[in-house]
Amino acid sequence: MPSQDTVRTDSDALSGTGQARAPLLQIRSLEVRFGSETALQPIDLDVLDGEFLTIVGPSGSGKTTLLRVIAGFQVPSAGRIEFEGHDILNTPINARPFNTVFQDYALFPHMTVRGNVSFGLKVRGVKRNQIEEDVDRVLEIVGLLQLGNRYPAQLSGGQQQRTALARAMICQPRLILLDEPLAALDATMRQQMQSFLKSVQRKSGITFLFVTHDQSEAITMSDRICVLNTGAIMQIGEPRQLYYRPANRFVASFFGDSNLIEPCRVTEHAGRFARISTPVGQFEVQCDIPDRTQGLVLTVRPEAFVAAGDDHSNIIDFEVVAVNFVGSETVTRLRHASLPDIITMKSKSASGARPPAVGSQIRVGFDKDQCSLVPAAEHGS
Amino acid sequence: MKPGRLRDILLGSTTVAVFVLLYLPILLVFVLSFFSMRRGRINWQSFSVDWYVRLFENEALGAALYKSLVVGLLAVAGATVFATLVALYVNSARASRLSKSIEYVIYLPFLLPPIITGLSLLIMFRELDVPRGLFTITVGHAVFVLAIVYRIILTRLKALSGTLVEAAHDLGASRLQTFRYIILPNLRTPLLTAGLLAFALSFDETMITLFLTGAEATLPVRLYAMMRVGFTPEINALVTLVLGFSIVLTIVVALTWRNTTGLEGHSSRSSGQ
Repeated sequence: MPSQDTVRTDSDALSGTGQARAPLLQIRSLEVRFGSETALQPIDLDVLDGEFLTIVGPSGSGKTTLLRVIAGFQVPSAGRIEFEGHDILNTPINARPFNTVFQDYALFPHMTVRGNVSFGLKVRGVKRNQIEEDVDRVLEIVGLLQLGNRYPAQLSGGQQQRTALARAMICQPRLILLDEPLAALDATMRQQMQSFLKSVQRKSGITFLFVTHDQSEAITMSDRICVLNTGAIMQIGEPRQLYYRPANRFVASFFGDSNLIEPCRVTEHAGRFARISTPVGQFEVQCDIPDRTQGLVLTVRPEAFVAAGDDHSNIIDFEVVAVNFVGSETVTRLRHASLPDIITMKSKSASGARPPAVGSQIRVGFDKDQCSLVPAAEHGS
Repeated sequence: MKPGRLRDILLGSTTVAVFVLLYLPILLVFVLSFFSMRRGRINWQSFSVDWYVRLFENEALGAALYKSLVVGLLAVAGATVFATLVALYVNSARASRLSKSIEYVIYLPFLLPPIITGLSLLIMFRELDVPRGLFTITVGHAVFVLAIVYRIILTRLKALSGTLVEAAHDLGASRLQTFRYIILPNLRTPLLTAGLLAFALSFDETMITLFLTGAEATLPVRLYAMMRVGFTPEINALVTLVLGFSIVLTIVVALTWRNTTGLEGHSSRSSGQ
């Protein structure tokens, strides 16, 4: 894994937003074991003030465990969590300035929407008229002002979700932890809630730590993404960086349909330029070159392949397996005798274009800076 | 005749026979509390509420009824508080392998033959030099109904999403506030149901009570004692009153259950919107 400093420099260069934010939360060597099972390997992570940070990974990757440790529901086996410079591991849950939106929302069934939302203020002994004022304000933000007197059972999934968010926001926490809050919603509602959550976060300026297993959700919503797999951080960075510059094979295959060509080895190397040898030919690449010459994977995004590119330095001859016209783009599946997997190419559809025939040979090229070279193993060998 | 029709007749007549067997004696008691019998026949001209008047004049029965009510209320109150505490512990994350043993210990007095439970309690109280009386009966009933109350409360606690408690802590509530505002309101219906059921069990519990009773008898024990000298017809009036009371209780329990399930039904409808 690259150090965080290099990650941030890279992302700044990619996105053009270079403002340095202070870390709100500093997680150091945090480790969680359940008996002999390791849920989280020692990890370091900074959560920056005001950012939308998504923790993404397949199930069992430890992302919910990490969230629960930060919230205080789970005691770590080792490590530290500092909130603005102070260790908070011994701070009880109800004294941490964080609030959680639970996966099942955990709305109190015997309380109305207003009752649920006001709970955090009520237990703090806030005065009645102040509570009413704050509840109105937060319900206004989430668009539930009209439904304040309904019970959770009388709300739709999206409305329950908004109630849970309002309830978490009302105490003005420094950090809101969201544990797969959109998992229970249908596709349409999920998309609406994605942009809604993002806009609420931007307007309120509260730091969001969002956990999901859905890579497209992570890419759409986040300022930064932390990719977890088997309890270890695979990469931290901005969405574009993870997509175009994966740090390793796992990240490359986790985001989008990546084409993986392996095994590769570097034959010539100068700065960000390298000549590599792959099962499908010799290529030139212009990207971050790992500090090893063997055991590498070349990843090329489907949209980076261009048909019939004799002018490209990197050319592969494929056999066409299938051509799928999906409106704005055409997806072509390609096979090469030396590759176990089918290669995917996505190109913009054009009305005059004739798609290649299935079974025919096709010459495909890609630019040397439209690919990345990553280690095959996730952890340095 | 079709075989299906024969089956219907057989099933139907069996059902009628069962109902007659179940309810005829009760109906008879009810009728006899208002009418007198002459030569094995009910004298329909003899309607009166005399037996009820006599019942209220019978201080021994009145006192026994009063004691039954007191014992029931105290036993239910004690068992409910204790069962709630144990259920909260067993349901909490901190409960260990111990919780399984706790369950068995609580269920045992209910599952054992009452004669064993009663005898053990008797021996214990004797060894501890506790005089037999209302106190020992109350303890015996509390031990006996504990299992029922515990089971009902634990079932509800388990059904309560564990994240509700986490959510309450997360929002800043202390343990006490979480119990007061989140757990207790959700236990209202099961507490009521468990209390009513336990009270009904305590009210007619005889065997354990027989071992633990001193000079003061509860209603079933008093009735048991009266059997030896023969019943007077005011017993019919008493049974009718107790029956009426039980029916009211049953209706209350049924209504509370229906209200909870009604809410759930509503939730499943609206969540589909």
